[in-house]
Amino acid sequence: MRVSKVLPVTDISGPLDRARSRSCWRYRSAVAARVGLAAFGGYALAGLATAFLSLTLPMVRSEAVATATLISFAILAGAVIWVFAARTLLRAALGLGLPIALVGLGLWLALDGVAMGPPA
Amino acid sequence: MTPLSIALNLALSFAGLAALCLAMDRHHRAIAGRGQTRACARMLRLAGWAALAASFAAAVVTSDWNFGPVQWIGSLTGAALLVVGLVSYRPAWIRPAALLALPLALAAALLA
Amino acid sequence: MRQGFRQSMAWLHTWAGLVTGWVMFAVFVTGTATYYRADLSLWMRPELRAGPSDAIPAAERGIAYLKAHAPKAMAWYVSAPQPDRPVIAVYWMDSLEAPLGQAMLDVESGAPTKARDTQGGDFFYRFHYELQMMPALGRWIVGAAAMILLIALISGIVTHRRIFADFFTFRRDRSAQRGWLDAHNVTGVLALPFHLMITYTGIVTLGVMYMPWGVTAAYKGDDLRFYVEAAQTTTWRPAAGRPGEAVPLAPLLARAQGEISEPLEMVIVNNPGDANATVVAVFEEPHGLAHQHPQIAFDAASGSVVERVEPLKPAARVFTSFMGLHEAHFASTALRALFFLCGLLGAATIATGLVLWTVARAPKTGEAPGFGLRLVRGLNIGTILGLPIGMAAFFLGNRLLPVDLAHRATWEGGVFFGAWALAAVVSLLRPHRRAWTELGLAAGLLFGAVPVVGALTTDRGLDFLAFDAAMLGLGLALALGARKVSHYEARRQAAKAARPGPARVPEGLVEA
Repeated sequence: MRVSKVLPVTDISGPLDRARSRSCWRYRSAVAARVGLAAFGGYALAGLATAFLSLTLPMVRSEAVATATLISFAILAGAVIWVFAARTLLRAALGLGLPIALVGLGLWLALDGVAMGPPA
Repeated sequence: MTPLSIALNLALSFAGLAALCLAMDRHHRAIAGRGQTRACARMLRLAGWAALAASFAAAVVTSDWNFGPVQWIGSLTGAALLVVGLVSYRPAWIRPAALLALPLALAAALLA
Repeated sequence: MRQGFRQSMAWLHTWAGLVTGWVMFAVFVTGTATYYRADLSLWMRPELRAGPSDAIPAAERGIAYLKAHAPKAMAWYVSAPQPDRPVIAVYWMDSLEAPLGQAMLDVESGAPTKARDTQGGDFFYRFHYELQMMPALGRWIVGAAAMILLIALISGIVTHRRIFADFFTFRRDRSAQRGWLDAHNVTGVLALPFHLMITYTGIVTLGVMYMPWGVTAAYKGDDLRFYVEAAQTTTWRPAAGRPGEAVPLAPLLARAQGEISEPLEMVIVNNPGDANATVVAVFEEPHGLAHQHPQIAFDAASGSVVERVEPLKPAARVFTSFMGLHEAHFASTALRALFFLCGLLGAATIATGLVLWTVARAPKTGEAPGFGLRLVRGLNIGTILGLPIGMAAFFLGNRLLPVDLAHRATWEGGVFFGAWALAAVVSLLRPHRRAWTELGLAAGLLFGAVPVVGALTTDRGLDFLAFDAAMLGLGLALALGARKVSHYEARRQAAKAARPGPARVPEGLVEA
């Protein structure tokens, strides 16, 4: 389906507009990749962060869970915005993957109850 | 949260937003038929923000900090809708309406 | 990067809005109707008369009914009658998986009520977070759509570069696209705090379902423990396995009422008939934003207090305040009207956005619209007009379906979906300009008919003046609004035809 721009035409475009100008298949796969990354990656980051914060926030258990759950949706929204704003798909993936790895590591440590000390 | 306190909020918010609207050159031209001086625009802007601040204060005083902010934001929406409606369909009514809103606000404040 | 950011947010806003638009329009409209859930229920049970009643004797009658009809249940729930819900609503849980059994009892006699079988306003309430599907699936669809709507809101704010300069601007006299964009911006910006608040608080209200990982990590999956520690409920005391006698209920409830100043709202009996049975007295929320009910749990055999729900801690207070803001139980009549207005503005933002999407992609003169555009146009009308048509039909069905029809409540739901589906089919088949006019007229007539049919089929006369006025107002607004939309289209088509342009090519020779 042909699409005309809603906003005044400018020379500067977003990453998905640039993909659209190449080929239909390119465009659709670019969109699919970003949507998938945003949905799964974003939810993963928010979920891991919720679990991590619930275990590590300096509050009573129920308070930590309430706080973490409250802000988790802001984390999810932020992650999704990032994925669509990043200039390239690689940047989007790295920008999401790095926090996921860090929070995941933190969660694993928190679950194990292992204290971070100097390397042996 | 009584009807009177909401009426007070609506009246003050309406006066304030109408003033802010008039302070914008494009709307002033559409409503008053002519341009305005920078000083005039500045005065209207000042009056507008003052009215909005008064509306917030009134909301918090009558409905305390729990509900006051919620009520104030609601009054802003209602008042803004009225301003946009008047600007779009009856621009000549805005100035009289904004001026009328002030004594109405005073009456509501005294009764509440 | 700045320019690229705005453009990518514009792309995101357009597609996030389209994907979520139809679902969220339905959620917004039914949710806005829910602000008046109790009033709708009163209208839909015209045999009942609103008014105050004694909570404790009513609770006793409810328990007596449950003792006779659901003696083996795991838990009993008796909802005390309210001034705007003059029935005793009883529920029972046979098992964790099965849906709750329920019955409505007459306040005075404790026998099943003679009022017609209907879900009342609860039908729209349930629809708005469950879409009348299997609970888990429906809530997930609504939740996902709400989260995407949050994205659409944020990206919309970023995209709207003249948000302050155009704050009061609504240009009806320029191009159709300009007019629709202005309408979309105005309805979006004027109630922006409301839109952001209602979307976020809506997600948070079911937040533990959508994001259970905090509870999973910190409580090793013991959800109930979380709710107890967050001062939302009392601890579940497991059954002892042997039968036991319970002390009389009324003195227990009277003692509980002596401690709490709010009215009694619900009585819960866990493991009734067991030696370890628990009676929980639940009271209304104290005046405030936070959605929390004082509760006192008694041991049913001895009558001694076993637990009191604690006051809220800070984070729990914020969490429950978010829920409270969403439901707006605290709102007075005037504030509730303002919330209702904001809800309508939210629905209008979504509707104008959906229409704008099609107007911006309207084919050039001589070209035929593609399949995608025709589909979106049809879905737009089918939702924006079809849903209100369904709601009007729902009200008419409440008055016209025979009172003693079996499964009457299900039939009423059937009327709602049937009418909506019919409208949707019409909107997909008819040319879209005509569909706007025809379905707009249908909506106006249906809503206008509701007060008339109501007056003819009941003896309540002018008791529901506010409701009748609202029905007439909605009908008028829908009919006139739809007419305006179709005239806009017609004016634009005529203007395009009058303009000299490339020679018109007959359809079929042009690639869509």
